[in-house]
Formats: sequence, structure tokens, C-alpha cells
Amino acid sequence: MTVEPGGATTAAPHTYEALQPDQPGGLVQLLTPEGERMEHPDYPLDLTAAAIRDMYRDLVLVRRIDTEAISLQRQGELGIWASLLGQEAAQIGSGRALNPDDMVFPTYREHGVAWCRGIDPVKLLELYRGVSHGGWDPKEHKFHLYTIVIGSQTLHATGYAMGIQRDGALDGDRGEAVIVYFGDGATSQGDVNEAFVWASVFNAPVVFFCQNNQWAISEPLEKQSRIPLYQRARGFGFPGLRVDGNDVLACYAVTKKALQAAREGQGPTLIEAFTYRMGAHTTTDDPTRYRLASELEVWKLKDPIERVRAYLVRTGQAEPEFFAAVDAEAVQVGARVREACRTMADPPPLSIFENVYAEPTAILREEREQYAAYLDSFEEAGR
Amino acid sequence: MTTLTLSKALNAGLRKAMENDPKVLIMGEDVGKLGGVFRVTDGLQKDFGEDRVIDTPLAESGIVGTAIGLALRGYRPVCEIQFDGFVYPAVDQIVSQLAKMRYRSRGAISLPVTIRIPCGGGIGAVEHHSESPEVLFAHTAGLRVVACADAADAFAMIQHSISCDDPVIFFEPKRRYWDKAEVDTVSGAANALPLDRAKVALDGTDVTLLAYGPLVRTCLESALAARQGGPGPGGPGNGHSIEVIDLRSLSPLDMETITASVRRTGRCVVAHEAPVYAGLGAEIAARVTEQCFYHLEAPVLRVGGFATPYPPSRLEEHYLPDLDRILDAVDRTFGY
Amino acid sequence: MTELKEFRLPDVGEGLTEADIVAWHVKPGDQVEVNQIIVEIETAKAVVELPSPWDGTVARLLAAEGQTVDVGTPIITVDVSGEPAVAGNTDSAERSVVPAPAPADAPPAGQSPAAEAQPERQSVLVGYGVKASSTTRRARKVSAARPETAEVPTGSPVPTKPVQVPAPPAAAAGPALATRALAKPPVRRLAKDLGINLAGLAGTGPDGTITRDDVHRAAGGATVRSEQEAEPNGARTASLAALPSPAGEERIPVRGVRKHMAAAMVSSAFTAPHVTEFLQVDVTETMAAVRRIRDLPEYAEVRVSPLLLVARALLIAVRRHPLVNSSWDGDAQEIVVKHHVNLGIAVAADRGLLVPNVKNAGELSLPELARSLQDLAETARAGKASPADLAGGTITITNVGVFGVDSGTPILTPGEAAILAFGQVKDAPWVVDGQLAVRAVCTLSLSFDHRIIDGELGSAVLRDVGSMLEDPVRMLAWN
Repeated sequence: MTVEPGGATTAAPHTYEALQPDQPGGLVQLLTPEGERMEHPDYPLDLTAAAIRDMYRDLVLVRRIDTEAISLQRQGELGIWASLLGQEAAQIGSGRALNPDDMVFPTYREHGVAWCRGIDPVKLLELYRGVSHGGWDPKEHKFHLYTIVIGSQTLHATGYAMGIQRDGALDGDRGEAVIVYFGDGATSQGDVNEAFVWASVFNAPVVFFCQNNQWAISEPLEKQSRIPLYQRARGFGFPGLRVDGNDVLACYAVTKKALQAAREGQGPTLIEAFTYRMGAHTTTDDPTRYRLASELEVWKLKDPIERVRAYLVRTGQAEPEFFAAVDAEAVQVGARVREACRTMADPPPLSIFENVYAEPTAILREEREQYAAYLDSFEEAGR
Repeated sequence: MTTLTLSKALNAGLRKAMENDPKVLIMGEDVGKLGGVFRVTDGLQKDFGEDRVIDTPLAESGIVGTAIGLALRGYRPVCEIQFDGFVYPAVDQIVSQLAKMRYRSRGAISLPVTIRIPCGGGIGAVEHHSESPEVLFAHTAGLRVVACADAADAFAMIQHSISCDDPVIFFEPKRRYWDKAEVDTVSGAANALPLDRAKVALDGTDVTLLAYGPLVRTCLESALAARQGGPGPGGPGNGHSIEVIDLRSLSPLDMETITASVRRTGRCVVAHEAPVYAGLGAEIAARVTEQCFYHLEAPVLRVGGFATPYPPSRLEEHYLPDLDRILDAVDRTFGY
Repeated sequence: MTELKEFRLPDVGEGLTEADIVAWHVKPGDQVEVNQIIVEIETAKAVVELPSPWDGTVARLLAAEGQTVDVGTPIITVDVSGEPAVAGNTDSAERSVVPAPAPADAPPAGQSPAAEAQPERQSVLVGYGVKASSTTRRARKVSAARPETAEVPTGSPVPTKPVQVPAPPAAAAGPALATRALAKPPVRRLAKDLGINLAGLAGTGPDGTITRDDVHRAAGGATVRSEQEAEPNGARTASLAALPSPAGEERIPVRGVRKHMAAAMVSSAFTAPHVTEFLQVDVTETMAAVRRIRDLPEYAEVRVSPLLLVARALLIAVRRHPLVNSSWDGDAQEIVVKHHVNLGIAVAADRGLLVPNVKNAGELSLPELARSLQDLAETARAGKASPADLAGGTITITNVGVFGVDSGTPILTPGEAAILAFGQVKDAPWVVDGQLAVRAVCTLSLSFDHRIIDGELGSAVLRDVGSMLEDPVRMLAWN
């Protein structure tokens, strides 16, 4: 249901069709589902063919890793996995728009953005396997740890952006910006709204990137908002826009522009990437209980990878050898991930006691020593 | 040496911290222009600017969440939660994020955030302005929890908390904000006890009385009254020599100082404003009993609030432990 | 050569414990590839497709369609010995956007990464979530230091090994001397009850703590063992007897009656708060009454002494103040008021002090009471008092006058609330009607359990007995 200015409501659902670029409130789209290039006056695209081929490779590999992880969970090698299936373009597009010094605050599903930041996918598996709570150094990759509490990271991102301001690091092209990812469900959380308040009144250089994949576990978007999500920004006083989340080129373009605006001191932007969660919320979820297969079929026709392949083929910007090489690389990546996961060692038991504080307290030291002695008292080393 | 109120001592300590480290920021509701509802941050925005002393929007979770972001960026934010009863919206950010991020990142992330919270009752206030929520945070691994009791410690401990690389929940006894004491504003911080140590505030031989924050003064008054009371029933305290210890650090607890004292006296009483039920006194009692079992003449007794919400202010004198209730507990330890 | 791998049913839903096999997608002999769907299972949450972890040939299906299988149970074995898989769908370009993984290319023969990757790990992790916990203890090392020992007074909570714990000022090996005496609360209580000062005692317990035995020893006399050792004349103290006693001292083994008396005294004295009240009574009229009763034919065969009238007076006083005939039940937190009076009389026998009692003394006539008292005393003195005689008393009289003393502070018989002692009857100056006179005077001492009987009641009882002895007509009037 949409609310028109003046309060009248129409029964139109948040459907893709209702949001065609030429419709009011339509999406920004630069590549149709069939692979045709569109132009948008606000978002000129300056990507080379090589860059677009690179993005295609990113999309394929990221999907391969994702499906491999699902299998590993089904084989008992991971406790759980949150799949990004269907959302690859939103993540690769926005991820490739970042400067190296920009800081990223993800949720727990941004494996595509992690890929763009150079995080080894095996590190993501550590978390879902239960070996660590997040295996990488945020400063090294400018990619914060995964945050499981819904929406919390929007405040962290905003505070970080306020720090950039205080560092005087807003400097046009060489400046730093922040991007924070969250979903449609998260927009209901108090913390996200507080982040909007902060970012707006302090004019913080943060891009709020919302992947609206239509579902928060079993709850559809209508349960989270009466109005299109990108319009929420207006209420807080900063710009919002909606982009085709399955269009890697459009996601790239709008994110690049929003980051630039942030870097130039123009403050925050809300980007609503309109996409679809093709898989389950996580591997413990069963979507057949709350959504129709027909909906899935409709979105299959808007596949983010298919349209790029079609575009490359149609425009002659990629040879069959290229696609074969990408496929072969995908198989290898899958195999590597599989093997690394299965051979991943459990952390040593006494590591439980590490890194609670900068220096362990007396009580922690005592507990650690007691437990070490306890473990040592058994004939056979146990678990 | 300067005579300062506790509030002014905090102000002086904050000022020193900000002078020493340009990364120190102060943020909270009304901390800038107004200087804080208790004037603890008075004058700081004028001297250090709006970028460093920030009047935030009215949202506690937002205050702590953005402070985390600033800390990730390399700053040392000092947040103010205006009143104890208003920390609850921020508990998720404090417990799920602030406390756990070092552990989550296996040491890669350090969040040197200080959260200042005026706490405790005795000021005749309406609801939510007299809470003692310290146990929630003491029970959360990854946080340090401290409570200052006098102006000299306030001056030193706020600086120690800010320079500490761990997140610190810093409780200030709001009914003692106007208590005055001598403060060494030159080397007070350097000479003070470390942040994780307790202080023997008054020597004694017969019973160890533990307290923190607002009740330290009450316990000192109790101990002095006990000395003057003289032996025999009727006189308060019956002439017992009470050793008063100001815990200062609630997490971690300085068990070394506590047990050394109890092993000398053989008796222990803990006093806090927070309800006795599941309060910090329970943890102390369990540890003291375990570590001093053969020295104890009596069980560890606790004095504190009732297992009720904080009452309307006309009744708060009945709720808050006072000199009589504390000395009563001391008497009871001698009844075993 | 076959190399079989077992695939165990994983937990696919955060704590699920079982699943039903819905449909097999393969059969024995089929080639399978990594991630190829081999089976559909149904859990409490969803229908889930399971992909194969390996390339290989299906050897055996270990569970049937429709069967419910626990998580962790092997459901299929696959021969991964390296037979090259039949070329599957080589076009694995992931065209279709399907939640299930597409089949992967078959790797070259003998290089199945899965097989190479896990020489040690035959089985798949058994799920996450609800793990079966052990029902037996794991074996401990034999030479390991004892596990959690008694509390170590040094304060270090690490009992097994000396570890580098920030140690508080540790108690020295002779703690009672250097610092506070160390003792558990029950031992402190015992010391307090027995009036022993712990400071200066050398403790024989672990780490210099003071034990119960240490306290008893300091209290003087041999150790009183628990009631479990009920051997009246046992040879327990053979070792003691065998000790050569140093010159100047004699050791008397505590056995039998003396042992029980001691135990009873301790139990009573240090459990019930005793208060004793005294009353000097002019018993001239009672003595006269005794003489006159003696002359009556009904009492020809029986001994009549002041004890008889004291007993009678006490019995009447009990009827007037029933609460005095009761006992304290600490466990139930109740005072048990007895409706019958089993009047105990303290008897000095050869073996020691005995307190046999006359059952239902309150119902007896005076001659019967006299008879009972006499029989009781004779039996007890002859050493023939039965356990039944000695048990069940509700109130006691003790005649300390026979020892030539005036009064005493009698100790309650365990389980009773009051005991009346009366001393010797002797002539003494007394004021009668405002004039000095010589009268027969006796002191009554009433000890009572102050948990049950307060001063007012105790005094009332004592006064009543005194009044009756002063004027025996009152016994008639109040009966």
C-alpha cells in the first residue's frame, strides 16, 4: 500500500512492476533484467568493459561461495549460514563503489561486500562454524565485524563518521566516508532511527545502504513500513533514493555518488536497494511456510547475474572463454572453501579466557588457572 | 590542595583528561551549553569547543552506539547518561556491543569508552532518578565498573577510567555531588590507587564493613558512632572497632584487600543501596565465605535496599540503609 | 580397493534431534558428485535436501524412506576410492537461481579433495545445538592432586597445584599463633559452648585448622565419642589403658553410665538455656505431716520421707502449670506439653547417677506414689533399672540434701523443661508471726528451660511447691 501526498492510499503493493523507472517513485536502473543498458540523467556510468567483466566474475564467485556454504551447513560442517542468494548485485555494486579508505559496517549477510574488501571467505565461515565471533581485523580491511544484533551497527557507523568529521578527513575525493548495511526489517529498530537522527543533525558522512529484500524472516515489508523505505529519509531531513537492487551497475552508480556526497561534507544518504531474498533467512528457516513459490519464479526472471551475462554476450564484451574461465574458477573456489571449512581447527579451550579486557583481571587469571588444572586432571584430553 | 565538591572534582578531572589527550570527547544530553544537569561538565564546551563536548540528541542508545563508532575511529568518548534510571535503553549497546567487541574481535578492537552515570537515592526525586543498576554491568564480562565515593577519588578515578583501554561504567553518587574534600589537583591522579583497587577508608579490628559510592560516607559515620558508643547494649555499635573499606572497583573486585581485612577481623558486613537480593553483596559474601571460611566468626551479612522498586521519596529514608541499619547489622554479626 | 565414507545425519536446524527420510535421490551403485542432492529429509521445521560431501559411488543406503533417524546416525556410505565419476552436468554456470546447489564438475580421478582433505575425519560433525551429554564421569589421572579439597586457608581458591595466583598474606603453618585461629563455624560454636578460647590452640586439621577433637581435648577429659558407640563397658580405651600414666596422674576411662551421664549433661547443659531459682521454705509442717503419715497403717510397709511430699507438691504444681511438664522440639519448632507426668528421681547408684522415672505419677494415690518411689530407688541402686525405667521422663526431682548441702543448680534431664532440687532440712532461725523462732528450713532449687518457661512461670511453680510444703493442707486444697 502506498500513501500519496495528501494521505490517499492506493492498494498497489511494493512490487517491482509498480516501480519501473518511468513510474513516479520508480527505481534507478541502468541494466534491465534482459540485459539492456538504460541511461539515467543523474547517474552517468563510466565503467569500462573490463570493469563490468570483473563485476560479473565477482557475482559468480560470490554466489558460488554462498551455495557451497549452504551445502556445508547441510553436511553438518557449519552450524548455520545466512545466504545472500539474489542480493549479489546490491553487494558487489555498492562494494565496488567504495574507496579503499572508506569504512564498511555490515550486518551478517554481506559476504559480497566482504569479498570486495578482500576478506578471505573462509573467515566468514569461522563465525558460522562457531570457531570465532568474527575472524578478521576490521582495520586491516576497513570492514567491521559482522553484527548480529539487528540495526546496532548503524549507530557505530554514524559515530565512526562523526569521528571522520573530527579528524578533518572529509576532503573530496581523498576523503573518507562510511557505508552501513542493514535490511528492511532493521528500519523498525530504534537504533536505526536514532542513527538517522544523529547522522542528520550532525551531517555525518555516512551512506545508509538498505537492502530491502522484502522479507524479515517470515514478515513481509508491509509489516515494517507503510511507505517506501527510501522515503523515510525525508522525515529525518536527508536524501533518500531507491535503486534496482538486482542491477549491479545501478547499485554501483548510486553508491558512488552518495559516497562522494558524504566525502564532500553533504551528509548522509539513504539508498534503498530493492531486491529479493531468494533463499531462506538462514539455513534453519523454511520459506515454504510463508511465501509462495510463484513469487520466487517472478524474481528468478530478474536474476542479477543473468542480466550481466546477457549484456556482455549481446554487446560482444566477453568471449565464451571468459565465461568458461569464470566457471572453472568458481569450481575451484568452491572446492577450496569446502576443504578449508572441513579442516578448520577448533580454537584451544583456554582461549575462552583471552581478550576479555586489555589485561586479564585477577579473577580471570584465577578462573583460567583453575580450568587449566581441571582439564589437566583427566587421563585423556577430552573435547 | 584545593577544596572541591565531588561535582567540581569530576569537572577538574574531565578537564585534565581533555587537556592531556585531544582524542577525549564528552557527549551526552545537556552536557555542552548547560554544563550538565549537575554541572559536572560546566565550562568545558566553552573551552574545548562543540566538536569535543557534544550535546547529543535525546536517545541513550544513540549516545552509546555512536560513542562506540567514535572509539572505533580512535577517539576516547566519555558519555554521560543523565540519570541512572535512563541507562536502560542503552543496555543493549553496552552489553551486546561495548562489552563484547574486544572479545569478538580477538583483541583487534579496543573500545576505551567511559560511561558516566549519576546513581543512587537520597535526593528526594521522582521515579527513575534514584536507581542503583551497577550489578547489571558487574555481571557483564568485558566491562569495568567503578564507583567513586569522595572528591579526591572522583578526580583521580575519572582520569584513570578515561585512560583505561577497557570500557568503564563510572558511577557517581549523586547525593554526594556537593560533599567537599581536599583534592590534590596537581598529582592527585598519579598518586591515587589503581582503578581496580579498594581502599581502607578507616582502620578497625573487629569487623570489616564494605561499601561503595554513596554509602561509604554513611559507613564512615557509622564506624565513628560505633567507636563513641561504648560497650553495653543501648549505645550504637557497642564500641566495636569497625574497619571501613571503600570498594571503588565493583568489577573486578579487589579480593586481596577484602580478604586480608576479613582475615584480621573475622567478620564482614556489606552495605549498598541496591536491593540485597541478587545484589553485589551476594557475590562478595560468596567469595569471602569461600576464601575466609576458617577465619569467619559469623556469616557475611548484607545491608541494602528491599526487594522492591525504589519507593516514593517520602519513604526513601526507610529504604536506604542508614547508620542505624548498618550498625544493626554489625551488632548481628556479633550475635553468632 | 574401496574406501568407504559414512555420512551421518546432521542437525540442520539448530538443535533438532531427529528427521524422517522422505526420499532418496540415489541408489547403490549410482555415481554421486560433491554437493549433489542425495536425499530429502523432513524435520520438525522443514523439508531439507542434503547434498553429498563427496564424489564417489553410493555403496549402501542405511536408512529407508519413511524411517525416523536420530541426528548422528549414519544414513549412507559412499565409496570414495577414486573411481572417476561419470561426467555430470558440465555446464555448471549456475544459470538457474535455485536455492539448492547445482551439481559441480567431477574432479579428475583420485583427486577428490574431499577424500584427501579428511584422512582422519571419517564422520561428519554431529550437528550443532543439542549435543548428547555424557552419563558417566571421565577418568581422572591417578597421580593428580586431589580435586577440590577442603578450603585452603591461604585464600587461594586453587586447590590442586601451587599456582601463581596473586596470593594474599597467607596464613602461616601455625595459624593460631601467627594470625587468627582457623576453624569452621561448627567448631567455633562448639568451642564457644564449651568455653574454650581458640586462640592459642594448635590445630591438627589440614593447614593448621582447629578440629572438633582439638576443642574437646582442650576442654579437658578424654574425647567423648558419638552415641553410635553404645558399648557400656566396651574395651574401646584399651589403648588408653595401655598408656603408661606419668607419675602423679590417674586416667579413668569414660565408659558406660559415666559416659552417658557426661553426654547427657553436655547435651542438656549446652542446648537448653538454664535458669535456676531458689526458694527457702519453712517445712516444719511438712516434716510433721511426714511423721503422722508414717504412722498410718496404709504406709506401714512403705518408706515415707519428705521426698514423698515434695513429689506430691510438684505433681500438683504441674497440674496447675502444665507447661512446666514439656519438652522443646527444635526441629519442629514446637513445645511438646506432656499430659502424663513421668516423674524422674535422681538416684546415686554405684555405676553413677541415674534418673529412673515413675510413669504417670500424677495419677497415683499417695500410697501408690510412695510405693513407686521406693521401688524405683531400690531397683536403681541395685543396678537393675531397665531402659524403660530410665526413658520417657517428663520432669525430675533431685535430692541434694542427702549430700549435706542446701541447694544447687541442677541440670535438666535431657528432654525435660524443669528439675526441682531440694536440699537438706535443718533447723534455722525463722520469723513466725513477727517473732524469731526455730523452724525446719529447706531450700528448693528449680532449674528450668528458659526457652519454654519464663521467669514468671518458673517462679509460680516454685512458689506453689514452696507454699504446699509450708502448709501441706494446700496439697489437699489444690488437688
